[in-house]
Parts: sequence; C-alpha cells; structure tokens
Amino acid sequence: MTATKNTLRSLALFALVLMTAVTSAAELVEINVYPQNIDLTNSRDRQRLIVQARYADGITEDVTEQATITNGNAEVLRQDGYLFYPQGNGETMVNVEFQGKALQVAAKVQNFDVTPPVSFTLDVMPIFMKANCNTGSCHGAARGKDGFLLSLYGFNPNGDYNNITRDFSSRRINLAFPEDSLLMTKGAGIVPHTGGTRFRKGDELYETVHEWLRDGAVMDQGEIPTVTKVDIYPKGAVLNGEGAQQKISVRAYYSDGTDRDVTHLAYFSSNNDNSAIIEQDGIVTAQNRGEAFIMARFDTHTVGTHFIVLPKNLEFSWNELPENNYIDTHMHNKFKNLRIIPSELCTDEEFIRRVSLDVTGRLPTVDEYNAFLADTDPKKRDKLVDELLTRKEFVEIWVMKWAELLTIRTTNQISYKSMLLYYTWLQERIANNVPMNVMVQELLGSNGGTFANAATNYYQNETNTLKVAENVAQVFMGMRIQCAQCHNHPFDRWTMDDYYSFAAFFSQIGRKRGEDPREIIVFNSNSGEVRHPVGNRVMAPKFLGGDTPDLTGKDRRQVMANWLASDENPFFAQNLSNMIWAHFFGKGIIQEVDDVRISNPPVNKELLDALATNLTEYNYDFKKLVRDICTSRTYQLSTKTNETNEKDTTNFSHATLRRMRAEVLLDSITQVTTTSNKFPGLPSGARAVQIANGNTSTYFLTTFGRAKRETVCSCEVKMEPNLSQALHMLNGDTVNAKIAQGGLVTTRIGEEVPHAKIIEEIYIRCLTRKPTEKELTNLMELVSQEENKQQALEDVFWALLNSREFVFNH
Amino acid sequence: MRRLSPRTVTFALLSAMLLVFTSVSHASSPALSIITPRNVQRGVENTITFNGARLADAEEILFYSPGFEVVELTPEAGKATAKVNIAADCRLGEHVAHVRCKSGLTEFRTFWVGPFPAAAEVEPNSSFEAPQKIELNTTVHGVVTNEDVDYYAVELKAGQRISAEIEAMRLGTTLFDPYIAIIDAKRFELSADDDTPLTKQDAVASAVAKEDGTYYVMVRESSYAGNGNCRYNLHVGTFPRPLAVYPAGGKIGDTVDVRFVGDPTGAIAQSVQLPTEPNDQFSLVPQDANGVAPSGNPFMLFEHGNSLETEPNESIAEACAAELPNAFNGIVQAEGDIDCFRFTAKKGQVFDIECFARRIRSPLDPVMNLYDGNGRSLVGNDDSRGPDSYFRYTFPADGEYVLRVTDHLKRGGDTFVYRVEFRPVKAQLSLGIPRVARYSQSRQQIYVPRGGKYATLISASRSNFGGDITIEGNQLPQGVTMHAPNMPANMSTMPVVFEAAADAPIAGGLMTFQGKHVDPATGIQGHFKNRADLVVAAPGQSLYVYKDVEQLAIAVVDELPYSLEIVQPKVPIVQSGEMALKVLIHRKEGFNEAITLQFPFRPPGIGTRSTVVVPAGATEAVYPLNAAGNAQIREWPIYVLGSANVNGTAWVSSQMATLSVAAPYVSFALERAACEQGQETQLYGKITHTTAFEGNAQIQLLGLPNLVTTTNLEFNKETEDFTFNIQTDKTSPAGKHTNVFCRITITENGEPIVFRTAATVLQIDKPLPPPPNAPPKPKPMPVAQAAPKPMPAPMPMAKPLSRLEKLRLAAKQRTEGAVPSGSEEE
Repeated sequence: MTATKNTLRSLALFALVLMTAVTSAAELVEINVYPQNIDLTNSRDRQRLIVQARYADGITEDVTEQATITNGNAEVLRQDGYLFYPQGNGETMVNVEFQGKALQVAAKVQNFDVTPPVSFTLDVMPIFMKANCNTGSCHGAARGKDGFLLSLYGFNPNGDYNNITRDFSSRRINLAFPEDSLLMTKGAGIVPHTGGTRFRKGDELYETVHEWLRDGAVMDQGEIPTVTKVDIYPKGAVLNGEGAQQKISVRAYYSDGTDRDVTHLAYFSSNNDNSAIIEQDGIVTAQNRGEAFIMARFDTHTVGTHFIVLPKNLEFSWNELPENNYIDTHMHNKFKNLRIIPSELCTDEEFIRRVSLDVTGRLPTVDEYNAFLADTDPKKRDKLVDELLTRKEFVEIWVMKWAELLTIRTTNQISYKSMLLYYTWLQERIANNVPMNVMVQELLGSNGGTFANAATNYYQNETNTLKVAENVAQVFMGMRIQCAQCHNHPFDRWTMDDYYSFAAFFSQIGRKRGEDPREIIVFNSNSGEVRHPVGNRVMAPKFLGGDTPDLTGKDRRQVMANWLASDENPFFAQNLSNMIWAHFFGKGIIQEVDDVRISNPPVNKELLDALATNLTEYNYDFKKLVRDICTSRTYQLSTKTNETNEKDTTNFSHATLRRMRAEVLLDSITQVTTTSNKFPGLPSGARAVQIANGNTSTYFLTTFGRAKRETVCSCEVKMEPNLSQALHMLNGDTVNAKIAQGGLVTTRIGEEVPHAKIIEEIYIRCLTRKPTEKELTNLMELVSQEENKQQALEDVFWALLNSREFVFNH
Repeated sequence: MRRLSPRTVTFALLSAMLLVFTSVSHASSPALSIITPRNVQRGVENTITFNGARLADAEEILFYSPGFEVVELTPEAGKATAKVNIAADCRLGEHVAHVRCKSGLTEFRTFWVGPFPAAAEVEPNSSFEAPQKIELNTTVHGVVTNEDVDYYAVELKAGQRISAEIEAMRLGTTLFDPYIAIIDAKRFELSADDDTPLTKQDAVASAVAKEDGTYYVMVRESSYAGNGNCRYNLHVGTFPRPLAVYPAGGKIGDTVDVRFVGDPTGAIAQSVQLPTEPNDQFSLVPQDANGVAPSGNPFMLFEHGNSLETEPNESIAEACAAELPNAFNGIVQAEGDIDCFRFTAKKGQVFDIECFARRIRSPLDPVMNLYDGNGRSLVGNDDSRGPDSYFRYTFPADGEYVLRVTDHLKRGGDTFVYRVEFRPVKAQLSLGIPRVARYSQSRQQIYVPRGGKYATLISASRSNFGGDITIEGNQLPQGVTMHAPNMPANMSTMPVVFEAAADAPIAGGLMTFQGKHVDPATGIQGHFKNRADLVVAAPGQSLYVYKDVEQLAIAVVDELPYSLEIVQPKVPIVQSGEMALKVLIHRKEGFNEAITLQFPFRPPGIGTRSTVVVPAGATEAVYPLNAAGNAQIREWPIYVLGSANVNGTAWVSSQMATLSVAAPYVSFALERAACEQGQETQLYGKITHTTAFEGNAQIQLLGLPNLVTTTNLEFNKETEDFTFNIQTDKTSPAGKHTNVFCRITITENGEPIVFRTAATVLQIDKPLPPPPNAPPKPKPMPVAQAAPKPMPAPMPMAKPLSRLEKLRLAAKQRTEGAVPSGSEEE
C-alpha cells in the first residue's frame, strides 16, 4: 500500500516538475515564505517552511522543493530540506531564493537544552483527533465505542485521562510494558480493532504515546499553556490544473508565548473534494475546476485557507467592465481570479420587474412599466431604486423578514395583543429608519411589561436560557452554536466554554406575571448563573469571540446587547449585510445566512467585509446598503450565462431564477388580477406581506412555504417548488377565482379595448414585458377561434399566471 | 302501533307546553344577562332595560346602593323595562342590581352611572374623514365590531381641555380591551392610551387644545378585534381626568387636602371631607370648574393620619421622618427614585405592613424593604399583594427603622403614588356561599317559597384566629325565619335554612350576614361577601373582571307545588356504617314532575351520592348515607335540597334534620380462613361490646367469592364469639380473597343500625397435584396406609400452608421421588 502511495506521490511530483516548466512561462511576480519566522523553544521543537510563487496571471505554485533554502548558521539550526531543528541557542537567518527572487526568514532558538516531558494535554490529546479516535462515529460517541469513551473532539482532557488510566484499571495501559498497552496495540492494529490501524509502530504519533506511557502516563501538573491561535499557510492558492499540489503548514500559538509547528498533528479537510483534496500529511492536490476551502483543526481551533483550481493553462482575457460601485470591484477581482466573465446587464424590463419585486414585493404597474421604458435618462435605474426605497412597501418587506427572525407569532404564552404590539414595535423601528444596531440593542436589552415595552416579547417567545442564547447567536451573528452545548464545535471555533459563557448573559432574566393576565413583565433579576456541565463551574459571561466584560451593577443583557450590536462585534454588521445580500440574490455570500462558521467561508470575503464596513459607516442604515446592492452592476446582471460562467452557481456572476416568496406571490396574483384579500386582523385589501402573526396563514401561503415563525432558522421560509404548489396554481381556488373575481378582462372588453391590447396589458401586468410577435399572433388566433372572447382572454390570463416566467423573479 | 308523524309529535308537544303555561302563572329561575344602556346619567329619569330570561313576573329591582328610584316597571318574558329616577348625588361609577320576580331572583349585574347625557353611536363612523359629531360632555354608547374603528368629532376652543374615558372591559361583558386616542385636525395624536393603571385595560386620554377647531376621539379594540358584545361607554368632555390622587388615603372622618395629579392642565388641589364609616371601595371623584370626571380615584380610609414624604429621601441616611401609626405616603417621582422613611417602633410591635400602589391604581410596582437604624436589611418584598408589597414584621427592639420604597423596574413619575399602612395583626372573618358552578352565580341568592323552605351552605374564612362561629342574618323579609347552627371550629361550612310563613308577603331585599366568634369578648366578627366572575378568558381561564358585593339578595317567592321533608332518623349512623335516609315529597295536586335531590352538607366522614332522582309522581325517596370509620362523632344538621321543573328550575329544601354520628356498638375481630377448593372451612370472630343493645343482631358474611356459601348468624349483647362455616366448591376461584367482611344489623327503636367490620382474608388453594410417580389414588383402606395416623386429616384446614411452605413441601416431595423423575427426563 505505502509503496503504491509513494509511487503515486512521485508521479505527482514528476507532474509538478513538468508543470512548473510550463507555468514558469508566465512572469514570476513574487515568492512568499511561510511562516515568516522560525522560533524554536525546546529541543523537541521544529519548524517547516513552505515557499509559494505567484505569477503574473494569478497562478500560484508550491516551489518549496525547487527553491534554494540555506541555513544561516548550522550551530543554531539543523536543516533537513525545508525542515529546521534546533542545534544550539542563538539567532540566525534562513535565506530563500527562487528564480532570482530572494527572501530572508529570521530564526531564533532558545532553551535548546530543555527537553520537556511528553504532555498529555499538549501532545497526546491532539493525537486522538489526528488519528480520528475521538470523532462522533468512534470513541467520541456519547456512549463511546466498544466500551471505550473519549470526549468528542477532546473537549474534556481530564475525563479522557481518567478513562484511559483509571477506567478498567490496568486494561488500557500497561506501565510495565507500555507497548503492550491496549491503547497502543489497538491503535497500531496489532490486535483486532474495529477502528482499524490508526497509527503505526515507529511513526511519530505512536512514539509520542509510547513515550508518554513509558514516562508513567502522568497527567500534566501546574498551569498548562492553552492554544490561543492557529495559523494555516499558505494564505490562499490558485492551482493550475488537475494534479497541481501545494503543501500546507500549520502553526499553533500558545498562551505562554511559544509557538509550534503542528502540521503533523492537525487534522485536515477540504470542503470541496471535487476541486481539491488534502491528505493528512498536509498536501493539497488539485482536482476539477472550482474552489475549495482547506481546513486544519488543531485543539479547539479550526482554520482555513482558500484554494482555487483552474483548468490547466486556461486561456482567458478580461475585458474591463464598468464598475458601478465597490461591490462590482470586489466581484470583478474575484471573477478575474476565477477566470469568469460575468453575464451581460439585464434588460430594462427585467430590471424593473426584478427590482420592484425585491425592493417592494410588488410587480410594476402598467404605468410604471411604460414610464420606465420611455425614460431615456442613463441614470434611470438608480432613479428607480431611489424611488422604490421611499415606498412603504419597502418597509413592509423588511418588517416581514425581521418578524420571521424575531418569531413574531401568537402562542399559548403570547396573546394576540402582545404579538401585535411586538409587531407594531418592530414596524415603527423599521419605518422610522432606526439604525439596526440601536433597534437590536433596544430589543436585547429590553425590560418591562410585554404590553408596555413590546420588545420584551423577545424573551417571552423563548424562555429557555440556553435557547435564548442560541437564538441570539443565530439571528444576530448568524452562528449556530447549538453543537457547543454538548461538545466543542467540530467545524467551528466555539467551545463549550464559549457556549456557556455566552449563555450566562441570559441567566438573569426575571419574568413575572403582569396585572393583565396576558402580560408578562421581563426584568433583570440580578441572580442566576449558568454552570458548565463538565465540572459544574459557574461561567462568567463572555462575549462570543470577545472579552469578559465587567458586569458589576449592570444588567447583563444590556451589556451584551451593547456589545453585540456594535462595531466591536465583527459578526453583527457582517451578518446583517449578508442577510440583506441574500434577499436580493437568493443566497448569501455566506450560505446559509445563519450558518456562519469557519468551515463555511464566504464566497467573497473582501466583498462581505466591504459591505459590513459600509453598513457600519452608514450608521447601520440598511437602506443605504440596499441602494448600493441594487445599483451595483452585479445585481443587474442577466440570468443568461456565457461560456465562462455557465457552471458558476456560487459567485453571483449571473442572476439566478428565484421563485417568489409565498407572500409576494399571493400579493402579485392579487395585484395583477385587481382583487383583494382579507386576512384576520387586517383591513380588506391588505397584503399578505403585512400579516403580523406567524400563525395567520391561508392554504395558499402554507403551500408556498410561508414561515410559521416557530424557529429563528432561515430555513423556515420554503422556496422550493413542489407539486402541490403547481396543482394549486392550476386547479386551486386562487388563480382562477381571482381572475373571475377581479373582472379585468370583462372591464376591458366593456371598455372596448382591442383584444391585442388586452393581451398586451395582461403580459405587462404579469410578466412586465410585451408579448413577442409570435406569442401575440398565436394568442390572437386562439382568441379569434373562441366564441366566448372573455373566456378566451381569461384563459390567456390564467396561462400567464401559471407560467414559470410569472412565478419566478428573473 | 301507528308511527306518529313528526308534525303530530310537535303539535302534541306544543299543546302540552300550552297546558303547562296556562296552569302555572309564573316562571322560576329568572335570569339577568345584561343591563342596558350600560351607562345612565344621574340627576335625571332614565329608562333602563334588564335583559334576561323568564322575567315576565318581575316585581322589583334590587339596587345595592342608594340613589335609585324605580318609577315604573314593565315586565316582559325576556326583559324588564324600568323607568328609574337617579338622584343627582348618586355615586358615579359602577353599580349593581338584581331583578326580583314573584318566582325568584336573578343574578346580579353591573351598570354605570355617569354625569353626562347619552348619545348613541351611529355607524358609519369608521373613518377619520367621516366621523360622528358629538357634543362635548357626552357619553357615547357604542359597539366595536370586528376590526371596527369609531371616530367622534367635537369642537374645541384654544386652551380648552378635552378628556376621554372609556368603560369597556370594566363593563364586565366580554374581553374587550379598548384603545382610544385624541387626534387633532392634522391627524396628530395628542393623547392616546391602550391600558392605564387607573382603569386597567380601559383607557383614558386627556389633552389641551392648542387652537380652535375640530378634534377627534378614536376608539378601537387594541388589537383590532371586536364583536357585537364589545359595548362601550365613551365619555368625551372638558372634565378633568387626573391619573392619581396624593395622598391616596386619610383618616376616617377627617378633612384632608389632596392633590390630583396627571391632568394635562396640572395638579388640582382639593380639600375633602372624609366619611365617618370605613368603606373599602371609597374613591374621590376629581372635579373642577370644567366638569366632573366620570369615575373616581381610589382612596383609602384609615384609622390614622398621614405622614408625607419630603424629598430628598433617596438613601437610608437621607430618610425623611415619619411617625407611626400614621400611614406613609409618597410618590416615586422619577426614574430610579428611591423613597426612605425613618420611624420609631417599639420592641414586640407586630404589624402587617402593606404598601398600596397598584391597589390604589398607581402605575408603581413597589418593592418595599425594611432596614434597622444602621441600614442593616431586615425584610423585603416585591409582589406579595399582586404587584403590591406586603410583609408582617415583629419589631425586635425599640429604636429607629427605615422603610424604603422603590419601583421594581426603577421607573418613576408624577403619578407613581403609594401609601404604606402599618396595620396591627387582626383576626379576620368573612362569610360566603360556596360556588355550585364555575364562573356562575347559580344559587348565590336566597329564594324562599311561601310556606316552604330553602337552605344554603354558608362558608367562613378565618384568618389569625380559630373557634366556633355564630351566624346572624339581618333585614330578613317579613315572615322569614332563619335557622343557623353554630359553625364548629373545625368546620368551614355549615347549612343555614330559611323558612317562609305561608302568609309571608312576596317581597325581597338585600340582607346582611354576619359571623361572630361565639365568645363576644373577642370582638371578632365579619360579614358576607359574594363575588361574580364577569369576564373569564385566556390564558388559563384568567379572571379579568369581577364584582364583589357585601349583601345577600333574598326573596320570598310564590308557593311551590312541592315540599320536602326528611323523616328524622331515630337511630344514629355509626362509624363504618350506613343509613337509608328517608325523604318524603309532599306534592300539590296535579304536580308530578320528577325531582332531583341533593345532599349539599356532608358532615365530616359522611358520604353519599351527589344526587338522587325521585321519579315523576313518587312521594318517597331514600337517600343512602354512609359513614367512614373516622366520621366525626356528634350531632350534625342535615338537609336535602330539591329541584324540579316548575316552568324553570324551582328549588326547595327540607327542614333541618339531625344526623347523629356514633361509634359502632360492637367491634369485631375476624380471623383468617383458608382451605382447598371444594373443602369446608371455618371463620372465627370475636366480639367486643361497647354499647349495649336489645334483642338479637344479625351478622352477614359478605364479599365471599363465587360458589362459596355460608349461613347468616345472630348474636346478642352477651355473645363473645362466633364461627361461620364456609363451604367452598371445586370450582370456587383459587386465590387470596381479601375483601371478606361482616355486615352487622342491630335494630333499635324499630330502625336498623347497619355497619360493617374491617375485611379479612379467605384463601382458597388448588389441591396439590399427586406426586408424579404416585399411584393414581390410594386404594380404599389398605392396612398399610394406617401409618400417617399421627397427622390428622383436618390439619391443612386448620393451618393452611403458606406459599413458602407449599414450595418446601413440593421440593421435599420431589427429592423423595427424585430418582425416577430425573431418570425419566434423561
């Protein structure tokens, strides 16, 4: 097996060498060495260097093997290829040279004469993860595996130590003959092991465990340094064609100020094996064209780096395209890297339909359509966006979206009145353009009666402390931290400590019944703590990914709210921007919008950062961000693809077809048929978008996936088409009845409008375009054949409402 | 038989109903559902309609408060219309009335008295553009239907005050939570209100007009709901509508200076003469040159005077001086305001320290803390009295103490008035009638038929004392007598029977009930209180609106065609015993309806069926009673209550009879018995005599399993033991029969005293199977079989084997015959 693998690797290396010859045809721009220093702090320490070349066409290449790496002082460092070991205390430089480009790396060795004992926490625990011992499918399962339990991804080293050394005394470890320990023989596959061979006698993982056992299998004493940061190198790569390879290096930083090359201990994974695979030895191999996020997990940290794989020696030329604003700049930068040319601009007809539906949830009227098409102002699209943003329908769309996030609905605990007051509170905030951060601070820090201060309904909607914390993280930071309730998050940075420390902000919510039986008073009870399930420690409140604030004499929630919805919290503005983006593109820059994690990176980080920065600079006035988005060229792209972007589904290089949301679809049908709806609690003629209560629904809305607002999950709104939807449109009581009820055709016939004009109007109403000549001819023929003209024209109407062109925003 | 067509049946039924109507001139169980209009003006004659059912024989309206004079009463089947003169000084606000009919009394309902003339709502008035024009100082009677919005327009001069107050939820009809707003001609809301502590879910709004012009008052349900029952009274006028009064209490009989706060024109100072009698529902009605408010602000009447806070008193060190036994008064004026009072108390003084805030309709949700003079915290409370605070405290030493009051949410404002009263711990007693149906006033009134009786249970709630209570009734109608035995200390309900003479005039009124401690020296007394649940709604059947009254409505009604009589038993019911209580039904000629009997008062340990139905025409019934083993031994008053359809349900009770509960005359000790199926056994019992009796008594052995028989025994006062011979059958069920007991019947005064013993056990076992290799059956009397003679045959019967013993026996048998059986298996 190993021999075959080696052969493969040699072949790959051979291919790489061949390829190098080809790539080097493009001009070499720079080389980078990672990491940029060597810092060795004991005799066991070591550091690898990797060298990456970048060419003028954006391609990068791993030239670690080809570069000339020279050791500045053999008395300080011992060199083995690109690996460096300590040789003596002191400082020196390592020189790296490749095709005329040179760099220097500072190296420092301290405590050369110190050989620390093998540490259980620092050395042995990482092996369980690297060797996949403590995953959920193996010994990390809740009940362990085959009688042996390890904490999932090593969240509880003390427990693991106990299980290895104390549980089944003298069975798992044998200190007299360490190599006979079951831990060794099972792991090395010497005795039958359900999990197979995890390491081999003689390799580093085996030897480390062996040495720990030989030294008496002791638990670390005193303060154990913790990992504060993990870095992965290189910081991105663009690989040229299938088979291209890139070495990865991982470095961990500890709380005692030291660092360590943990490439051999980090667990590697790729989020897209179709484009790039990574072996556990840290070598990425390019596969098909695409992008992949290469991740390394060490300790509780997951870090990633972005890889692009291009077809080998792809011919590509970028024609400068106009950039309406920063959004286009960031998009185009990415397109250049990906060798994608975005689609053309959409037509005016498409634009007015798209932007009207997205901004106001309404189709353009015939007058609006005519006026816009007749307008010759080159800035007319911007003008239209500005005009639409002033409409109250714009506010209503966002009230609806926020109502979903805040799960505004009646429950056994929340009366209709409470719910309505909560909805009105939200509506007033959004209508008055209250900055989003102020609104969220007001919401999360709210105290008082659910009638008197309706924002407090947020804490009545969900009364479980942990769930409240999870919801806040998911809605306002886009993070699903649920996993960390039971174990450190496997694909993200969140540990159980983070989870319970964050939940501690919500442990002092007092609730008491108000004088009105329907009202609950939410207050700061000043007492109540959250305890960590491992060890029952009281957890001090700590911002998620932030500091531990001073809370003396303060309302924990208010302190948390002030941090959460502020510039200090990097996730807030980013999450809001992403949510807003997702509304206009059908998917987020991070998708799902409420699943932000390291292993789910943004498709265009620079763009997301820029949106977030701008939102902050706009003082969280999201309307301005909406303007940026709608006026960008990217938003105005056609759905028609070209050769370069036809397979792109993630990078927004062309517009995508999006089915209208349930509410918008019903409102649109109602609008084009000139009918009205009656929803409980709303006057006749009100729109589905305006329904305050998540529990109020109709068959139509339910079928088309209106959110019931039972959870904060963005997945509650169902956008997937299904058979019942199609059948309901065809046979249900909505479309047909509304055509008849509205009587548009009857009215127009009564006004003696020519049939062709009626068809044209129906086309503009439904599809925001005039019929093509062919369509018109065909339809006119149909109408002329039918004796009952009204029936025939209504059939046309019906057919258009049932067309995909109507149901989708395109 | 010929099948009747449905039409024939209907016709027959109709004729039968007509017959009933002609033969009975009145209807029983009249009902009152709503009094309309919901608001009437004082100082004028009003036409008030009492809507309900079975009101055709209405005779009188019973008002619970003075100021109402009925000039004319026109009864109809479904309503009674009254012309009522309402005195000019009639108290403003909520009032209560019953309708008394010849045949009964309705439940009580509320209505409101206001100062303004009425105007009816005229739809359409649902848009701002087309409001209904009304005069200032008018009360609009309106209805909010589903999603309805009502607009009213008034003309104002600059500087004029406009106030609006709505009575909606307070009307106690349905869950109707209104919202009102005063809007100017440019559609700006000058004042709007959904809920306010002063009027709870109801709303008040008040503003001053900046310029001459039209102003609008908008009314809707707070969440745009509504229905035909959502009636409201909207008072619109120039009247003051302050939200609080400070201080909110004073010494009974004193003249106090008060300040109404929360009115848009500023505080209104008044000097008020307080009544000389305590009144829990007292309120002060704000009034100035521009009018009088339609309802008052609650005001506490107290035995002692007031200590008022002086700012600054934010900390214990700055506490202002106050003096006991005065009540402490203050306002939590601003956000975060804290009020501290320093006072002197003596060692051993015990007070119920009550903070009145929400109870006097202040927005404050008080938190009250007590500190000693050095600032050490002693006791604190937030919500023991609803949102209000309360604690009982015994002062440990002479010295200074500090009382601190603040808002739970650290809010504050001009109207955040509160008052702390230090009340000596007092014994408290109140009487009531236990509910017979949830949320209903059913049988919460007394209606005694002429020449008949009516009984009810009276409940007492005692706090801070124990002991027997006497019950007194005052203002009984002419010809009515009341029989009310004392309520023993361990009881919280007792029956009271009312009896009307045959010639008692048909009349009624409101009576006061009083309970007193049997020892007059204690001075403990309390009165009757009755609560009507007016609005009950979600969540969890919460009570939103209720009305308490302190008098009991009583009426002498038409004679009923039946009466009940308990045949006074001549023997006691003994513990673990039973009794068939005989009830006689005296029917008038021609009255044959079925009658449902109830046994409302059950002495401790006495149980019975909830109802016994006397079939149509029957004149005698038996109410079976049983006594638990621990039934309390004493003589108890009992009665039965009957109801029958006399064109509506008519209630009547028996006389108050006596039920004597005694200890059993003899006690039995039963031994266990056991045998195999088909065998015979004996059950022994010993008798201990406690009360001598004459003649022979019977013992029945009951609870025997199927196909087990025995014969009844007799015993007399000298018998000491007895034996039942029990014969079982081969198919009698095997097992442990644990409910075998004796029923004893002793006859005294010609009546049986029946009781039962504790149960014993009869064990019936299956016969042991013969050993596997044993010969099928021992041959008849072979000589060699004589060996087991020392073991006499009846032994198993005398000492039945336990399960363990049987198992041992079986094991022994197995080992004895083991070799052949084991080899068989091989």
